Amino acid sequence: MSEYFFELLTEEIPAWMHDTAAATLTQRLTKLVEEFGGEACVCVNTTPRRIAFMLGKLPEREADRELEVKGPPKKAAYDASGNPTQALNGFLKKNNATIDRVVDGGDYVMLRRQITGRGIDEILREQVPQIIEGIRWPKMMRWGKGEHSYIRPIHSIVSLFDGRHAPLAIFGVQSGTTTVGHRTLAPRKIEVTSYNDYVNRLELARVVVDAMRRRHVMAERARILGNEVGGTPSIDASIWAQWQYLTEYPGVVRAEFRREYLALPEEVLVTVMRVHQKQLPIRDAAGKLTNSFLAVLDNEGDPEGNAAYGNSFVTNARFADAKFFYETDRKRKLADRLEQLEHLQFQEKLGNYAEKTKRIERIVRELGGDADALTAARLSKTDLVTEMVKEFTDLQGQIGGIYAREEGHPDAVWQAIYDQYALPRTMSGALVSLADRIDTLAGFFSIGAKPTGSKDPFALRRAAQGIVQILLLRDQREVKVGIEQLIDLATSDQQVKADLLAFFAERVKTILEQTFAYDEVAAAMEGGWAASLTDLSDRVEALRAVREDANFLSILDSAKRIANITAGHDATKVDASRLEHDTEKRLNDLADLVGGQIDELVAARNYRPALESFAALAPELEKFFDDVMVMVDDESVRRNRMSLLRKVGNAVKKIGDVTKIVVDRRDYK
Amino acid sequence: MSRVTFQSLILTLQNFWAERGCLIETPLDLEVGAGTMHPATYLRVLGPEPWNVGYVQPSRRPADGRYGDNPFRLGKHYQFQVILKPSPLEVQGLYLDSLRAIGLDLTKHDIRFEEDNWESPTLGAWGVGWQILLDGMEITQFTYFQQAGGIDLAPISAEITYGLERLTMFLSRKASVFDIEWTDGVAYGPVRQQDEFEFSKYYFEVADIDLHWKLLDAYESEARRCLDAKLVLPGYDFTLKCSHVFNTLDARGAISVTERVGVIKRVRDLAVRCAQQYLASREELGFPLGRADV
Repeated sequence: MSEYFFELLTEEIPAWMHDTAAATLTQRLTKLVEEFGGEACVCVNTTPRRIAFMLGKLPEREADRELEVKGPPKKAAYDASGNPTQALNGFLKKNNATIDRVVDGGDYVMLRRQITGRGIDEILREQVPQIIEGIRWPKMMRWGKGEHSYIRPIHSIVSLFDGRHAPLAIFGVQSGTTTVGHRTLAPRKIEVTSYNDYVNRLELARVVVDAMRRRHVMAERARILGNEVGGTPSIDASIWAQWQYLTEYPGVVRAEFRREYLALPEEVLVTVMRVHQKQLPIRDAAGKLTNSFLAVLDNEGDPEGNAAYGNSFVTNARFADAKFFYETDRKRKLADRLEQLEHLQFQEKLGNYAEKTKRIERIVRELGGDADALTAARLSKTDLVTEMVKEFTDLQGQIGGIYAREEGHPDAVWQAIYDQYALPRTMSGALVSLADRIDTLAGFFSIGAKPTGSKDPFALRRAAQGIVQILLLRDQREVKVGIEQLIDLATSDQQVKADLLAFFAERVKTILEQTFAYDEVAAAMEGGWAASLTDLSDRVEALRAVREDANFLSILDSAKRIANITAGHDATKVDASRLEHDTEKRLNDLADLVGGQIDELVAARNYRPALESFAALAPELEKFFDDVMVMVDDESVRRNRMSLLRKVGNAVKKIGDVTKIVVDRRDYK
Repeated sequence: MSRVTFQSLILTLQNFWAERGCLIETPLDLEVGAGTMHPATYLRVLGPEPWNVGYVQPSRRPADGRYGDNPFRLGKHYQFQVILKPSPLEVQGLYLDSLRAIGLDLTKHDIRFEEDNWESPTLGAWGVGWQILLDGMEITQFTYFQQAGGIDLAPISAEITYGLERLTMFLSRKASVFDIEWTDGVAYGPVRQQDEFEFSKYYFEVADIDLHWKLLDAYESEARRCLDAKLVLPGYDFTLKCSHVFNTLDARGAISVTERVGVIKRVRDLAVRCAQQYLASREELGFPLGRADV
C-alpha cells in the first residue's frame, strides 16, 4: 500500500474560508482515489497558511483494463469481397492496432485494447495540480507580476509518494520535499518524508496541523484560564471556528478591561468582544459578565504579558468609544430622533425611514395594536440614527430597546423594539415585527427586487420566514391574521400580492417540512393556508395523527375513489327525489348527518375527530360502490350521483386533500 | 523592550526600508486621508514600472477628530507607507524583519495576519490583504493592490501602512496617545494637542459650509481643466483637494445620504481619469523607470 502526501504553503488564508475549502478538497480527492479502487483514504488538514493532505492505502498502480473502442459501421469497414476499407484501416492506424484486434460489435466494428494501468504517482502528479488550482475561492487575488489568481500567494509545495519526491508544479511553483515551521516561533526549514513525519516534525516546530486538535487544546486552555478567575468562558461555536484557523500554535490568553465599562449595556460589551475583537467574554458563577475575557494567541504563552496588555489596550479603547457613543446618545430621547429619520434613506425608491416608520405604525394599528405597540412601532427605527448603531450596526433593534428601557418605557414597548429582528417576546413585538417585515417585502417586490435563485441581497426570505414563524405562535403572542390579509395591509397592487402569496407558500412549506412530512404539508395546504397559519398547523397535525390510524386506508381509498370518479364535477347539490337505490338514499342521509357533524368539528378546529367521522362513512361508501352504478347513460341520474359523491368528499376538503398522502399499504396490515 | 519614541520609530522604519532598496519620499504637501492618496502610491502602482518607496504621510480624517480629548483618536495621525512593486514573495518576511528592527522579540509576542480587504470608492481602487495584529492590536494594514482608478493592475504592488502613533503607544506602554514621546523629553501632547483641538472645532463647528461647496465646484472644474490640458499631476492635486473638501463637509454634517453618493462619484470620476491619463502619459514617455513585466 502506498501513501501520497501534499502540502501547499501560502500566506494567511481567511479563517472563514477553511472549512468549505477543506470540504471541497476532501470531496474531489475522494472522487479521485475512488477511481483507483481499494480502500484508499483521504485526510485533509489546514492551518492559516497551509493546505495539507494525505492519501493513504493507495495501490501502486491503476488496475490494467480493457477498453472497447467503437469504429466505423461494418458496412463501411469492409468492401464487397470482405477486405478492410480505407475507413477501417484509418481507424486501426489511429488506434495503433492491427486487424486481429478487431472484435464483433454488432453493426459496428469494435476494437478491444489492453490498457496498462498507470502508476498512481504519475496520475497524482497530473491530477493534484488541477484539483488545487481549481479550488474556487470566494475572493481571489493576484500578486507579483500578476499572472495568477488564487486565494493568496503560493510559497512552496511538498509532494511525496512513498517518501520520494513526486515532482509537480502549481502556478509555476515547483514542488520539493521541505516546508517551514511556525512563522515566528520556529521559522526553520523542515525536511518531510511522510505524513506522520510531517505532523510530528511540525509539532516540534510549533505548528499543530490538525484544526480540531488546535480547537480542543484551546478549549481546554480556555476552561483553565476561566477557572483561574472563578468564571466560565462563553460557549461560542463561531469564535472557536475562527480561532482554530487563526493560529498554527493553539494559544489562549486572558486579559481584563477596566471595570467601569461593566456599566455599559451587556449587549454592547459582548458584541465588541465577540464580533469586533473575536474575544470570548467570561461569566461568573451567577452568569454575570466579568471584566475578564479570553483572546486567541498564536504562541505558546505570554510570559511577558504582552498579549494580555495588547488585548486589554484595544478592548479598553473600543469600550472608551462605546462609552462616548452611549453617553452622547443618552442626551437625546428616541422620540426626538424621529425627525432625523427623514434624512435616512431606506431604499432609493422606497423612501426614507420616517416614511417607513409611518407605514409600520399604520399596519400595527390595522392589526389592532394597542398604545404600547404603536409607541414601539413609532420608535422602532430611531436607533438607526444613534452613534452606537452607526458604529455597531449589528446591534440595531437591541440598542433601541435598551435605550427605550432606560427611558422608562414599559416592557411591552422596549422589548418590542429590542426583538424586532429576532423572535419577539411580546404581542406588541410580534405586531411590530410583522408590520416591518411585510412592509419591507411588499416594498421590494413592488420595485421588482424579489430574490432569484441564491441571490437575496435584502434578506427577503429571512423576512418572510420571520413572519411565518410569528404567525405560527399560539401563546400570548398569537396574532389572528392570515398571510393574505397581512399582504393586503401592505399593498394594493394585484401582481405584487400574487407574487408575495407564491413566495410565502414556499416559505410556509419549507418551515412546516422541518417538522412534518412533505405529503402531510402538501395535503393540508390544499385545504388553504393563507387565511390562518395556526389553523394550517392544526390540520397538518391532525393529518399526521390520523395517517397512523388503522382505518386511515379507508379514508384514503374513499377519498381517492371519489376524486377519480368525480373528476371535473364540482356540484354537491343532490336531488333526493331522484335517488333510486336504498343504498344511495342511506348514503345521502348519512352524508348530511355526518357532514353536519364534520362541519361542526371543523368549525371548532377539531380536525382529528372530523377525519375519524369521515372514516365512519367508508363502509357505507363501499356498499354504494358495490350496489350503485354511477356512470349510467341517463345524464341527470349520473350527475346526481356524482353530486352525492362530491358532497361526501367535500366534507373533509377544508382540512386538506387526503389523497396527497403517500402510504405504503404494508404498514397497515 | 527597548525605548521607542515616535521619532525613533520613524527613523528606524525609514532606514530599514531604505536599506532594502526603497526610495525615501517625503510627505505629500496636501491634505490627504491616507498615505495611499500620495501620488507615490496611487499613481505609481499603475503600469509596468517597478517602484519601491517609503515615506511618512500625515493623514487627516476630519470626522475622527475628538478635540484632543480621546486618548486613542486623532483627526490627524501619521502613517508610514511602503510600496513594493512588484510585490516580492518574501514581503511578509520583510515586514516581520521591520518589527524586529524596531526592537520586538517576535517569539514573545503574538503576530497574526487577519483578513482585511481594502476598498476606496473615491479612488476606484481595491485590494486584498490583512490587518496585522500585534498582541491583538492592529498596527499595520497590508494590501495587495488589485485595481486603482478602475484599472486592473499588473504587476501587483504590496502596500504596507504602519499606524505610527498606535505602534509607539503600544511599544512604550502609554495609555494615551498624547503621552507618547515624540523624542526624548518632548511628548506628543504638547506638540499636537492644540492642533487636534483647533481642527476638531474647525471641522465640526466652524468650517464655512457654503464656501466649501463652492470650493468643491471650483477645485473640480480646475481638475478637469488640468486634465483636459493633459496636466495629469496638477489635475490629481485638485482631485485630492476635492476629496479633502468632501471630508470636511462630511464632518461638518453638511452632506445628506443622497448627496454623499453624488459627491463620491464626482471625486471618483476625476480620480479614474487621473489614473487613466497618468498611465497613458507614462507610456508616452516610454516608461522612464523601466518595466517590471519583461
